[in-house]
Amino acid sequence: MEAIVFYILAIITVGGGLGVVISQNPFRAALWMVLTFVGIAGLFVMLHAQFNAMLQLIVYAGAIAIMIALTMMVMDRRNLNAIGRFNPQPLWAAMFGAGILADLAVLALKFKIDLSNAGKNLAIDGSNTKMIGDVLFKHYLFPFEITAIILLVALLGAVVLTKKDINQ
Amino acid sequence: MLVQYMIVSALLIAIGATGVMIKRNFMIVLMSLEIMINGAGMLLIVMAYYLGNVSGQVMFLFVAAVAASETAVGLAIAVMMYKRKGSVDINDFSMLKK
Repeated sequence: MEAIVFYILAIITVGGGLGVVISQNPFRAALWMVLTFVGIAGLFVMLHAQFNAMLQLIVYAGAIAIMIALTMMVMDRRNLNAIGRFNPQPLWAAMFGAGILADLAVLALKFKIDLSNAGKNLAIDGSNTKMIGDVLFKHYLFPFEITAIILLVALLGAVVLTKKDINQ
Repeated sequence: MLVQYMIVSALLIAIGATGVMIKRNFMIVLMSLEIMINGAGMLLIVMAYYLGNVSGQVMFLFVAAVAASETAVGLAIAVMMYKRKGSVDINDFSMLKK
């Protein structure tokens, strides 16, 4: 049963990724990307990471996809769709991607770890969110603050880059 | 099941990398970057489950935050180049060449 659900979600995820790369219309590519993110959220639920699954749906499928779609909405649609699909030499890029895939697949097949702890220590009182909060604020407080600074700097950078008189 | 999860993650990373190299539309290049980052984040969650250590799930929070910042800056660059060139074709992004 678990294997069937896994294969359905894996096909949705990988198919969405292929749809992004193959489609020419960027709006359709954005919808394929949302499909990929939803599939990954399903895989996270299967891995007992419920908090991260909801985070994936809110941040990626919600915020980032809408941000990209809104940016494309303010551009000229005919102009966006007229851009060719692939670079002049797509074969080399495809071969390089296949090489990366072969490399990672060999690593995955040769990878051996101790599986005796699988599925343990992921929840306090049946709550994954409590466990993440516990570890985040006890062991990773400083990286959390650094993340806040990164978000602030990215916000300022986006504002400065899109200012009107940056071209002069 | 560990190998299957890792293969799905590897497929996502490879598809994203291929999309970054192969596409001409800058918006789709940004989407491919998101897919690549998600593949790496998914590997963190898989390892958190199979090692029984919740730190991987905490790391995914940081990955998501950095991915959101990267998208914001990337979209700002796209808007700036669109204002200058009237296109988001990456072959037009050659201001520094001359």
